[in-house]
Amino acid sequence: MKSIYALLIAGCVVIGLTACSKKKEPVVDPVVKDTPAKAVTSEKPAQTKEDSLASLEKERLEAERLEAARKKLQEMMDRLMSEDVYLDFDRSELTEEAKTLLTQVGEVLNQEPRFTITVEGHTDARGTEDYNLTLGSARSTKVKEFLSAYGIAAERMETISYGEEKPKQAGESEDAFAKNRRANFRVNVK
Amino acid sequence: MNKSLPLVFFLSMAIQVFASIDTIAVDVGISVFKTMPIGVVPFTEPSGTSLDWPDEKPHEVAERDLNLSGRFEIISVPKFDLVKLSRARAKFYVTGKIEKALNNKIKMDFFLYATQSKDLILGESYTVSLMDSRKAVHEFIDKVIYQLWGAHGVASTKLAWVSKIDGVKQIVVADYDGFHRRQLTFDSTISMMPVWSHDNERIIFVSFRNNKPQLYIKDVATGTQKRLFKKFEQTFSPAVNPKTGEILFSAISGGKTDLYVGDPETQQSRRLSFLKSSQTSPSWSPNSSEIIFTSDRGGSPQIYVMNSDGTDMRRMTFMGRYNERASWAPTGDRIVYTSMDDGKMNIYTCAIDGSDIVQLTSNSGNNERPSWSPDGMLIAFSSNRSGSNQIYIMRRDGSNVTRITQGGDNTAPTWSWYPIENQTKQKEGKE
Repeated sequence: MKSIYALLIAGCVVIGLTACSKKKEPVVDPVVKDTPAKAVTSEKPAQTKEDSLASLEKERLEAERLEAARKKLQEMMDRLMSEDVYLDFDRSELTEEAKTLLTQVGEVLNQEPRFTITVEGHTDARGTEDYNLTLGSARSTKVKEFLSAYGIAAERMETISYGEEKPKQAGESEDAFAKNRRANFRVNVK
Repeated sequence: MNKSLPLVFFLSMAIQVFASIDTIAVDVGISVFKTMPIGVVPFTEPSGTSLDWPDEKPHEVAERDLNLSGRFEIISVPKFDLVKLSRARAKFYVTGKIEKALNNKIKMDFFLYATQSKDLILGESYTVSLMDSRKAVHEFIDKVIYQLWGAHGVASTKLAWVSKIDGVKQIVVADYDGFHRRQLTFDSTISMMPVWSHDNERIIFVSFRNNKPQLYIKDVATGTQKRLFKKFEQTFSPAVNPKTGEILFSAISGGKTDLYVGDPETQQSRRLSFLKSSQTSPSWSPNSSEIIFTSDRGGSPQIYVMNSDGTDMRRMTFMGRYNERASWAPTGDRIVYTSMDDGKMNIYTCAIDGSDIVQLTSNSGNNERPSWSPDGMLIAFSSNRSGSNQIYIMRRDGSNVTRITQGGDNTAPTWSWYPIENQTKQKEGKE
């Protein structure tokens, strides 16, 4: 019974308030109307100045931790690059080594939801520039799809194709070709 | 004084030798084309004073034009020589007369004569600055071609290509013979895949300035530019519709590459291919009713053709594992494309049904990115046969390969269209 009364009173108050505001509305200048709202938001941090200092410190520590984690992930990805986990010529399928390392990358990305990654697909110099852009895209997409299947949201991964434009090693040798067929990673913090 | 004379002589010799090395390399292959022998007699210059020609003498420019056109066999004679010209079956010869004119200009009179009768077939007069002398010769040679072949020559057309400048790929534009080169892009990031807009006034190209391949359009004269088709993150492989100026291109969307066609003015575009595989390197048929492109739906890149609305797709190439970047001849009868065999790229042509395959380049490094001349007689391409990437022009049958760039790293030539007035003239002639 009491709760019904409370509800009714609350309802009356709400109606009263809306009625009030409706009545006042034509009088208040719409430009001026904005300012109180702003004042409220700017007041808040002032009220809790000490809190904000503490939170700043907390943010700083968090940033440091994130940077350390980012470095760790970047190192992991650099290793992914240096472990000769390259893709076969004219193919975009991932090798078993690539899959193992990508699983570890996926783990870190799961732990750190603020990380996003850019996957750059590259090819060797053989073939046309046009088809190599397509192939680079297919390679970076394969990496993205693998991490997607691991549970990383697609929005956290951007894919770019460089085709044959950014070789890691110059020259026309088989060795250079193999080194240039790759996917590069960049870790970004949101 | 006496001692310095031999030195001066030696120096001038050295310059001479250097100049001769620096001229174009010409490889006259066996041609199935019937070429027309034509005499070239050096043009008379004003006596007493010598003119300071910017690079070549006018008759040398004329010889180069006639040779590059793929239509003539040049019979060079130091002066009119009826016996020699007749023996070589040169029924016609060109010559000219240069005079000094007012305001530091020169008056250039060009003549096309019949060898036997000495009748004047064609006479043209230009009053130009020394710098514009090449342009005047180009115009005259195109008139000679029109007179003798009834077709428009390409001596006044242009090329755009990619040149590495300070290690960065930039777009350059030049006359079709490689002279009068001018840098169009000045970015610190890669620019590539240039093509000419329908009116020859702008270049559409791919820039990596946002760290992704994206299409831009840049005005050749003013340098104003804008990004095209912004709703896509990654766009490349532009091809301009020869009738409407619309742009066919590849865009990466949802992890795969597909073909789109868009209007550079309104920036509106629509998708043309809906396959699970990737599609790239589109090119229009000359009447723009069909499109050829590359698809890897069969597991390796092969050339396909479809109607310009995306319907009725069929495969065109079946030989080899890697056929890419097809381009339809302006004459409509052949297709030029690049094929990879043993890791080497070579240029081939075939009939529009994929039959009658002819290999145009072989045993000479990588040969890539063929581009038709607007008259369909010639193909410009890049090759690393000399040890570095350079631009070459050859006849459509692979003969008469002529290098037009020296030094540096030059790739991906694309030929301009005919000037608009010729485009309409051609149309009228056909209808």
